[in-house]
Amino acid sequence: MPPYRKRMMDRELEKILDDCISELRKGKSIEECLAQYPEYGLQLKPLLELAQAMERLPAPEPAPEMISATLVSVGQEIARHRKKKNRSVFGILFQQPRFAWALSVVFTMLFGLAGITTVASGSTPSDFLYPVKLVTEKIQFLLTSDGEKRAELRITFSDRRLKEMKSLLERSGTLDTTLLREMLDEAKLALGESKVSRETAPVFLSKLNHFNAYQRDVLEHIRSQVDTTQRELVDEAIEICDMRSSWMRRMMDEEMEQRPIDPQASPRREKRGSTRYEWGPGCDWMR
Amino acid sequence: MQNKYQEIHSNELEELLNSAREYDPRAIARICEHFLPKIYQYVFYRVNGREDAEDLMNEICLRVINSIRNQQGSFTAWIFRIASNMVTDYYRRRAVRRNVELRENTIEAVEDKSNMPDKLLIQEEVKQALLHLTEEQQQVIILKFIEGYENDEIAVMLGKSVGAIRALQFRALTSLRNLLR
Repeated sequence: MPPYRKRMMDRELEKILDDCISELRKGKSIEECLAQYPEYGLQLKPLLELAQAMERLPAPEPAPEMISATLVSVGQEIARHRKKKNRSVFGILFQQPRFAWALSVVFTMLFGLAGITTVASGSTPSDFLYPVKLVTEKIQFLLTSDGEKRAELRITFSDRRLKEMKSLLERSGTLDTTLLREMLDEAKLALGESKVSRETAPVFLSKLNHFNAYQRDVLEHIRSQVDTTQRELVDEAIEICDMRSSWMRRMMDEEMEQRPIDPQASPRREKRGSTRYEWGPGCDWMR
Repeated sequence: MQNKYQEIHSNELEELLNSAREYDPRAIARICEHFLPKIYQYVFYRVNGREDAEDLMNEICLRVINSIRNQQGSFTAWIFRIASNMVTDYYRRRAVRRNVELRENTIEAVEDKSNMPDKLLIQEEVKQALLHLTEEQQQVIILKFIEGYENDEIAVMLGKSVGAIRALQFRALTSLRNLLR
């Protein structure tokens, strides 16, 4: 066969293989794809089987301590760049290689890797190590596959945003609205995240409800400390907490009675033995 | 199969990138959350040892943070180009030749496969076979079948035409099939 003819045949086969791979991704079976091109069946079948097998390979997972180390480096790098942006006299001194080296040795000796994340865990947005805390949280979440544990983490993160918000308010007298939004978002996502087993559902809902009530109390307390403009935001957040509380009570009642109240309000059933809950209207922070 | 990870919509990514260029930790955290597993997966299949893959992931992340202010064009293409360049540097640094036997011997010495579940065994076999392909073929296979991208996205990442990606895919799958037979 002349080379140009072979090249043409190869091109045709490349195109057919690619079309079949696209069809497989849309849900067709290998047999269905092959039936469209019986003359190429022998060549196509092993290639399609291989393509499909590769797409089903488990995702490799790095060691958690390595993820943590990477994130600490990322967080430190962000902090370094931010510091550089706001360089002061101390900043200029910090840039000097000898000083930076000496400082990094002291820093490493004092805290070590685990120490940095521990110190960072108590930080607030204005702190040097806050980026480490945020990035570590994100990846901690990413590495957690169990639905209930992910939901617990969301509650933990929401609680941290609340504490940071309080701490910043005490220090600066201003409400950080980003933290307020994140606090509400994390708590909202805790419910959507979890595919809770029927056995633990009442406990989980009750815990989330208590946390919601706690958030509401703190917001009520904060309300008197902020100016009029920000007070409107706090009021809105309190309303959301109230709305969430009423939805959770409905969910808990329904869970106890094992029967839907009305089709719109009922939690979506996922499969036997587990339930995924969804918030109703009025539970979202719309700003 | 579609992309294995929760996607960031292009508008959201654009907003995140604008903030990340100002070193906003929230934006960078979100970008890390999304891209870190993809980068690790890419590197895992392109280098031999797990520890080397982890070290490279770390280096790539730092390179990304340090260069993010100069990033232009498709972010996904950019980040995979960084990963690809760093894999090339890695082999150059360690003066690792594409000596198949040497690699196989090394991996045999390091990994005990006797207790590996079937899926992981297949993963290891595919990984070893992939290392025998050309660099471009490896990239196409990993980006398409492991990362789940489409041909047009891979074409942008590798700076090639969609037709060239199709041809590479065909040749790579054929070679892999022969290696795994």
